[in-house]
Amino acid sequence: MRVANLLPDIQYQMQQSQQALATATQQLATGLRVNQLSDDPAASANMVRSLAYSANVDQYTSNVSSVLPQMQTADSAISSIVTSLNSAITLGTEGANGTESSANRIEIANQVQSILSSVIAQANSSFQGVYVFGGSDSTTPPFVPASTTYTSSQGSIASPLAATTALTAGSVTTISDAATGETMTYQAAAGDTIATLQSAIASAVSAGTLSAGTSATISANGQLSIGTNSATAGIVVSSNDAVLGTMTADSGTEVANAYAYVGSSGVNTVQVGDSMNVATNLPGNQLLTSGPNVIGSLTSLITALQTGSAAQIGAATTAVFSGSTYVGQQRVPLDNTISQLNSQESYLGQEKITLTTQQTALVGINMADAATNLSQAQLDNSTVLAAAAKIMPQTLLQYLQ
Amino acid sequence: MGSLGSSLSIAVQSLNAASGSLQATNNNIANANTPGYTRQVPILEELAPVNEGNFSAGSGVDLKGYQSVRDQLLQTQIQQETQAQSGANAQLASLQQIQPTFTTSTQDIGTEMSALFSSISSLSTNPTSSTSRQAVLTAGQNLATAFNTASNTLTSQQSGLNTQVSQDVTQINQLTQQIAALNPQIAELTSSGQDGGTLQDQQNQLVLQLSALTSVSVTQGTDGEELSTGNGMPLVVGSQSFSLQTTTGSDGMTHVLDQNGTDITSSLTGGDLGGTIQTRDTTIPGLLGQLDTLANQFGAAMNAAQAMGYDQNGNAGQNIFTIPATVAGSAASIKMAISDPTLIAASSDGTAGSNGNLANLSAVQTTALPAGQTPGNAYASLVFQVGSLTSNANAESTATTASLAQLNTQLSSVSGVSIDEESANLITYQQAYEAAARVVSTIQELFTVTMSMGTAAAE
Repeated sequence: MRVANLLPDIQYQMQQSQQALATATQQLATGLRVNQLSDDPAASANMVRSLAYSANVDQYTSNVSSVLPQMQTADSAISSIVTSLNSAITLGTEGANGTESSANRIEIANQVQSILSSVIAQANSSFQGVYVFGGSDSTTPPFVPASTTYTSSQGSIASPLAATTALTAGSVTTISDAATGETMTYQAAAGDTIATLQSAIASAVSAGTLSAGTSATISANGQLSIGTNSATAGIVVSSNDAVLGTMTADSGTEVANAYAYVGSSGVNTVQVGDSMNVATNLPGNQLLTSGPNVIGSLTSLITALQTGSAAQIGAATTAVFSGSTYVGQQRVPLDNTISQLNSQESYLGQEKITLTTQQTALVGINMADAATNLSQAQLDNSTVLAAAAKIMPQTLLQYLQ
Repeated sequence: MGSLGSSLSIAVQSLNAASGSLQATNNNIANANTPGYTRQVPILEELAPVNEGNFSAGSGVDLKGYQSVRDQLLQTQIQQETQAQSGANAQLASLQQIQPTFTTSTQDIGTEMSALFSSISSLSTNPTSSTSRQAVLTAGQNLATAFNTASNTLTSQQSGLNTQVSQDVTQINQLTQQIAALNPQIAELTSSGQDGGTLQDQQNQLVLQLSALTSVSVTQGTDGEELSTGNGMPLVVGSQSFSLQTTTGSDGMTHVLDQNGTDITSSLTGGDLGGTIQTRDTTIPGLLGQLDTLANQFGAAMNAAQAMGYDQNGNAGQNIFTIPATVAGSAASIKMAISDPTLIAASSDGTAGSNGNLANLSAVQTTALPAGQTPGNAYASLVFQVGSLTSNANAESTATTASLAQLNTQLSSVSGVSIDEESANLITYQQAYEAAARVVSTIQELFTVTMSMGTAAAE
C-alpha cells in the first residue's frame, strides 16, 4: 500500500494512548473503576440499590442504638418493681402474723405505702423524655393519683350543661379506674349527647370496666360531674371535647394510695432489620393493672394492714404475690428482645462491612491493578511518542542535502 | 531522416513537459497539508510518430493536462462514516451533561430517597420528637428538589438542543449554496474533457462538512453533483440549492421544514442535526417520561400511606407531596404539601405517641409502584438507562472515529501527497528538464557547426 503521510495515523495513536493514560490516572487517583455511569451502567444501577440498602442498614443500626437504652431502662425498672413487690410480700406475710399489734401493722402499712410510691416511680420511668411504660402515649407520666370526682370546666348556673347537650362528634372522653385497673374510652359519634355518655358509663360499670357506683351527673353549678360515689374508689377523667372543657379533679377528693393508668395500650414497633420489627415498649396497663392489678393489690394490702384482719392481710399478700409472679413473667419477652437487639447490632455491623466490600467490588479498582494499568499506559504513551519522534523528521529531502 | 529543426521542436516540448510536471509536483508539495486536497499527476503522452520514407520517427512528448487521483467509493464511505460519527458525538455531548445528575454519590434522587426513608425510620424510634419530624420534612423537601433538578437538567438540555438545530440548519443552507455554486464551474471543466481538480476538491470538502451535519445522498447528475437529504428531499440540483427552514412548533421545539414548508424533522437522520434531533425528541423525552412516572407514582404512594394514619394532632393524614393530576411534568413540579412537622401522619390510632403508620410510609420503599418496580429499583433502572445510552453513544463515537481514521488512511494512500514521492519526482523532472535543455544547447551547437560549415571550408 502506498503510504502518503504517516502523521494522521501517528496523531490517532497518540490520542488513543493519551486517552488510556488519562483513564488510568483517574482510576488510580479516585480508586474507582466506575467514575461515571457510562463506565459500567449495570454496576452503576447495582450501586444505586446497594447504597439504598446500605442506608437502610445504617438506619437499622441507629434504630437499635435508640431503642436499646429505652428497653434497658424498662427492663431495669421491672427488675426494681419485682424487688419492691417481694419486699411488700415479706412485709405482708409479717403483717398477716396474728401476733402483730395494730400499731405494728400501721407501721408495716407505712412501709408498704413507700413501696407503692417506689413502684409508681419505677412505673413512671422515662428515658430521654419518653415514659417507657406509657404505651404509645409516652410524653406524660402514665400512672397518676386518682380522685373520686372530676368536674368539667364548661357549664355554669346561667348556662348549665344538660343531658340533652350535644357532644362534639369525634371527641374522646376517657375514664381510668384505679380499682379495676381498666380504662373506658368513649368517642362521641354525631348526634351523641351527654345522655349518651351517661349510658356509656352505665354500660362500662355493668361490664366491670369501671367500679360500681361510677356515674356522670349534672352538678348544681350546671357542670358535668363524673364520680365514683365512693371515698375509696379513685378515677382519672380526661376529655378533649370543647363542649365539656377540661375535666379537673375536685379539690380534696384524691384517694390515698390509688393510682390509675392514663397511658395508652398501644405498642410501637421499630424496624431494625429488613424483616425484623421489635416492640419497643410495654404498656404500663399490661404490666401492672390489666392483668393482675398489681397497683390495686398493693393498695388493698395497705388498706388491709391499716384496718383489716390477719386473714384479709394474708389474702392481700397472696394477691401481691400473684402480681409479682406475673410482672416477673412480663420481663421475659423484654429480655429476649434486648438480647435480639444486641445480636442484631453485631449482625448489622457485619452486614455493613459486607456491603462496603461489595460496593468496592462493584465500582472500585484494586490499587495494584490501577498502578499496573498506569505504568502500562505510560509505557504505551512513551512508545508512541518515541516512534513519532523517530519517524516524523525523516524525509527524502534530508538525505538529499 | 529528422531535421535539426524537428529535433529542436521535440526538445522544446520536452522542456514544456518537464516544467509542466514540475508545476504539478510544486502544487502537490504546496498543498501537502491542505485538507481535502487530492494529489495531481501530469498526463504525459507521446506524440504521433512522423513517417519519413520507410521509417517512422518519434515526435516527442505532450503534456495533456493534470489528473487528480481520486477514489469516489472511499470518498462516499468517508461521508457516511462522518455522518455516523457526528451523530454519535452529538448524542454523547448531551448525555455527558445529563449523566452527572444521575450520579450515585451525592444529592441525586436515589440518595435523597434513601435519606427520606431513613428519616422516617428514625422518627419511628421517637414519634413525638419535633426534631425527627422536621428531619422527615427536610428529607422530603430534598427529594422533591432532586426530582426538580433532574427534570430541569433534562428540559434545559432539550432547549439547548433547539439552538443547536437552528445553527445546524443555517450551516447546512450555507454549505448547499456553496456546493451549488461550484457545480457549473466544474461542469464547464469536465465538459471540455478536463479534470475538476481543485474545484472538485473544494466541493468534496464541502460535501464532507455537510455530511457532518446531516445525512445526504450524493448522485452525479448532468449538471454536477446532486444532493438530497436521507428521505430524498433535494438540497442541490445543478446550480440551484434548496434552503431548509426552521420554525417553533406547538410543542415549543424547533422544527425543520423543507422548501415547500413540509415538516421533515422526524425524517432527518445522521450527522450533528440527526443526532441532536434524536436526543431531543426521543432520548430525553423517554428519560423524562420515566422520571415523571416515578415522581408521580412515588408522590401518590406516599400520600396514600400518609392518608392511612393520623397526624400529631389526631387528624387524618393529609397529602405529604403535591403532585400534578397528569403524569407529565410531575418531576418538575413535585413539592412538599406540608411544612408543619406535626402534620406527618405517624400515628395509626390517633394518639400522638403512636408510630404505627410510619410502617406504611416505610413500606413504600419496598412496595412496587403501579409501573411495576419499587421506587429504588425504578430509579436504578433509570440510572442504568442513562449510563447505557451514554456508553453506547461513546462506543459508537469511538468505533466511527477508528473507522474514519482507517478510511482516511486509505484515501490518503490513494489521493494524499507524499513528500518523499514528490521529492523524487522533483529530481526526476529536474533531470528531465536539464536533459532537454542539454538537447537544445547541443542542437544549437550543431546549428552553429552547420552554419559555419562553408566558412570553415573556405578558410
